Amino acid sequence: MTLETEVQSLRQVPMFREVDPARLKLLAFTSERVHFADGQRFFDRGDAADAAYLILEGEAAVTLDGPQGPIRLALLGANALVGEMGILADQPRSATVTAAVPTTALRIDRRVFLELLSQFPQIAIAVMRELAHRLEMTNQQLAQTRAS
Amino acid sequence: MSGGAGAAERTGGGMAREAGDRPADGRSGEQVAGREAVPARAGNDREAGDASGGLDRSLFRYIWRHSKRDQILICGVVLASLPLYFASLDLPRRIVNEAIQGHAFEKGNETAKFLILRLQVPDWFGGERLLFSGFDVDRFELLFGLSSMFLLLVLINGAFKYWINVAKGALGERMLRRLRFQLFSLIMRFSPDALRHTKASEVATIIRDEVEPIGGFIGDAYILPAFLGTQAATAMAFILIQNVWLGLLAAGVVGVQFVVIPRLRRELLRLGRQRQLASRRLAGRVGEVVDGIAAVHSNGAEAWERAEIGHRLGGLFDLRLRIYRRKFMVKFLNNLLAQMTPFLFYCIGGYFALKGQLSIGQLVAVIAAYRDLPPPLKELIDWDQQRLDVQVKYEQVLQQFLPDRLLGLDAPGRDDSLCGRLAAEGVGVQEPHGPVLSNVSLSLPLPAIVAIVSDGGPAASTFARVLARRVVPTSGRVTLEGHDLADWAGAALTRRIAFAGVDPILFPGSLRDNIVYGLNRRPPASGTHSADAKLLAEAHRTGNPVEPFPADWIDYAQAGVADARELDALILDWLTRIGMGEEVYRFGLLGQVDPERHPDLAARLIEARIAFRERLAAEGHAHLVEPFDPARYNRQATVAENLLFGVPTTTALTGRALAEHAVVRLVLDRTGLADDLVTMGERIAATMLEIFRGLPSGHPLFEQFSFLSADELPEFEAILARRTATEASAERHGGGMLNRIRRRWIGLGRYGSADATRLIALPLAYIEPRHRLGLIDDAFRDRLVEARGQLRTALDEAGLGGVDFYDPDQVCAAAPLRDNLLFGRINQSVADAVETVTATGTALVQEMRLAPAITRVGLDHQVGPEGRFLSGGQRAVVSLVRALIRRPDLLVLDGALSPMGENRARTVLGLLLERFGRENSLVAVLPNDRVADRFEVVLRAAGTQIHGPDAKAAPPAPAAGEASGGEVPAGAGVAAPAAAVSGRADNETGPEPARVEQDVRA
Repeated sequence: MTLETEVQSLRQVPMFREVDPARLKLLAFTSERVHFADGQRFFDRGDAADAAYLILEGEAAVTLDGPQGPIRLALLGANALVGEMGILADQPRSATVTAAVPTTALRIDRRVFLELLSQFPQIAIAVMRELAHRLEMTNQQLAQTRAS
Repeated sequence: MSGGAGAAERTGGGMAREAGDRPADGRSGEQVAGREAVPARAGNDREAGDASGGLDRSLFRYIWRHSKRDQILICGVVLASLPLYFASLDLPRRIVNEAIQGHAFEKGNETAKFLILRLQVPDWFGGERLLFSGFDVDRFELLFGLSSMFLLLVLINGAFKYWINVAKGALGERMLRRLRFQLFSLIMRFSPDALRHTKASEVATIIRDEVEPIGGFIGDAYILPAFLGTQAATAMAFILIQNVWLGLLAAGVVGVQFVVIPRLRRELLRLGRQRQLASRRLAGRVGEVVDGIAAVHSNGAEAWERAEIGHRLGGLFDLRLRIYRRKFMVKFLNNLLAQMTPFLFYCIGGYFALKGQLSIGQLVAVIAAYRDLPPPLKELIDWDQQRLDVQVKYEQVLQQFLPDRLLGLDAPGRDDSLCGRLAAEGVGVQEPHGPVLSNVSLSLPLPAIVAIVSDGGPAASTFARVLARRVVPTSGRVTLEGHDLADWAGAALTRRIAFAGVDPILFPGSLRDNIVYGLNRRPPASGTHSADAKLLAEAHRTGNPVEPFPADWIDYAQAGVADARELDALILDWLTRIGMGEEVYRFGLLGQVDPERHPDLAARLIEARIAFRERLAAEGHAHLVEPFDPARYNRQATVAENLLFGVPTTTALTGRALAEHAVVRLVLDRTGLADDLVTMGERIAATMLEIFRGLPSGHPLFEQFSFLSADELPEFEAILARRTATEASAERHGGGMLNRIRRRWIGLGRYGSADATRLIALPLAYIEPRHRLGLIDDAFRDRLVEARGQLRTALDEAGLGGVDFYDPDQVCAAAPLRDNLLFGRINQSVADAVETVTATGTALVQEMRLAPAITRVGLDHQVGPEGRFLSGGQRAVVSLVRALIRRPDLLVLDGALSPMGENRARTVLGLLLERFGRENSLVAVLPNDRVADRFEVVLRAAGTQIHGPDAKAAPPAPAAGEASGGEVPAGAGVAAPAAAVSGRADNETGPEPARVEQDVRA
């Protein structure tokens, strides 16, 4: 698997869909590819948010510790981006992410990511658009919940 | 340092004797002669009797004093060579006249006498005497005989010239060595006041550059004028004998030359002096800017500094230009005067000749003799110019080393331990801006643990420095048991007192070198090797120290240990207690293990290396580390590392330089890897150009990730463009086999060799799993491993060394200890691999008890210039341990703990309080009262006063403090702590510091 396949994966992420391929290549090149064994933690809830992960292969579970053990919130598959909110908001991890099977992910370093955002407005705008989109979705869901 | 002072004393010996003959007392000295004004000022400085510490006021006196034997010897040889030299001038005439033209055979003689030796003695002693009547020779034999004699004389003259030049050169170099060493010794004796006004780079310039021409001149100082003067005088005498008037005329012109030219040159000298000062200041300024470059950058003062230096250079240029113009003007005048004389000779001499008062023969002889006059005269005048120039330089140098800027020599004195009643009697310290201490009187019993609480002013710190003898009081004195501390020998005091200030001074070298710096005081016994004898003799001749260097100067006894190993253990013990053990351990992990210096550790490292692998396997983490295997490509290592399979020890094999190394290129070409690497380099360059375009240069991402730096992008763009153009042209001209070969032959291959080298350099740093450009396949790996073997053979054959190869059974001395332990590369693409491997390694080191040995390696860690590779806290620890290791009677700390950070400072203070007070004393300057209660004796600074010692039970009332002055009975300080401890609890002042602390926190 080479940089090209990682760029293909990055293009699947809604946040990066509009971004210039050369910039995605830079993002991929400045990121690390890491392998997680089955059950190995990406990060724990409460950890400092130092990176976002793009899952290239395998699956990762997002969990929260409940009184009766961990509650699985979601199962993320290939091309899913996880932890990006943490690095943007500079807040501790809100949940724990664990590899559900042997998983390969692209680790996007927070510092490098912010560096790229400040350097290339195109990426920044793409991120903003995605965040606005998510906010819009949340608003709609909220409205629906209130209405019902 | 003691060696230096001793040597200076030796060199000063001769002159001290001279001084001894004269009235020693200052006032009568002044009356003797103006020249004696200097000894009057430095009456207590014996060495500076009539000169600034061994440097005479006059350069010639200095030269004569130190080199008269050599000067006379060389002069003698020059004189001895003269007759032979004149003979060699005379021979050609004889060869032509007697042998070739046959004048010797004029009267029909078949043979002539050759090699007639005559002894010329004055007539009244019998006239000429024949020693040897010579051989009878024919014309050919005479020709060959005379020619061989000429050849012989040429050889002899050459030999003389060689010897004289070497002797003069050696003389100059010796004097230069002596002068430089003396200046350096004098720097060691600079008074604090002189040091305040001295710029390091200026003094360095003096020793390095300014004395250099003086050394060059010294060889000629006496010999040249003696030699040329004789020559000129002979020519002049000859002219005078021929005709008095013409002789006087010539003498007149020469006189004008000798009077006018030096006058014109006087201005030149003034300018020269200015130039010397200006360029010295330039050097000082550049040094200042470099030292303070961080401040320049942080204040954005680059433009201002540039303008300042530009202005200086402008002034310097102006000066130099003026000197240049004047110099050539003088030269022009000089030549004019020299040419003027023949005109006068022709004109006036011709007039006499026409009048019949002078024969034509005489006139011709006079003009011929005059032709011999100008060259030596010109050289003499040049010599005079050089003399003045050098003398000015010498005087300028001397200005920096005047006796009033120097401290006295260390005289022998008391060497008692510093225990007993220490008393300050009316101590005052005057600074240029006013008094810092005035009339301080107090007394303390030593040993004791003393705090001097500062009031924010300089008094506390200055008093601490007075106690440490860093500052000499301007009035009053400090006594111990009634004896003035000034009576102690300087060397004894520096051994018994240690001082650590707020900014530690570290020298480039290892941690260990810096810590044992204060123990380097035991000159080892002089070496008895015959090889050293010559060096020693040379050192004696030039007044340099004769102690061996480099050698082990460490005084182990002072540290209380037997040898280097115990000393290391002691240092590590201190460092660990102070809390820097962990850091030194980490230095050790990054340090290099020299198997010869640490044979035990080297052997255990191999053992540990194997254990490490087994342990990782047992924990199921074997895949985290890819070991170095001579037969396999290490995927986690760079291409270069895989190729070399070792650590380069020369820059020629390090980094990109590898691509230019002849042997490496040979192997790469032979194995065909060069083409692959060029292709890889091409793809890397293309990718970098694609993805890093648009980032501003100097962006951190470049440095961190790119194979190319920002300014290289256009270069590589051009390289790739050249390739495209070449390929396009190749296409146009058809791609036939023959054509390709032809193109390659005429240098139109895909790349020029320079471009190819640059491209090959790129993939050297490539690691496939990290960079993921998909450039490496299994075939490439196999070929590279093959090339690895070939390269090793080729490098061994070339015999250049330069690589410390990896060997599973050997320690790789050039690699860090950590890498030797791991002997492989961590698989970075497994999450948390580094942490896991580090944890395993740490556990292993614990288990095998390797930590002490590794920490010891950490003592070799280089601290960098001024210790810049260490943090401020670490520098402070090094400086403190340097003081502690000497086991001083009195340790004075002035802000030495503050860079360590609050927590560590508290630990260290606790440690010191525990160690000091029984046999040795501790004096610490405290910024506030917070920890003062932990000290036995507390002194308080207030304005220019030091109050105390506190009777701690009572609150420190200023009035009481002043009254107590020096009248506190001995032993009061010792009694105080007990009183303080018991009195503390219900004393109102007790909780105050705590409250203040709370306030601060709130």
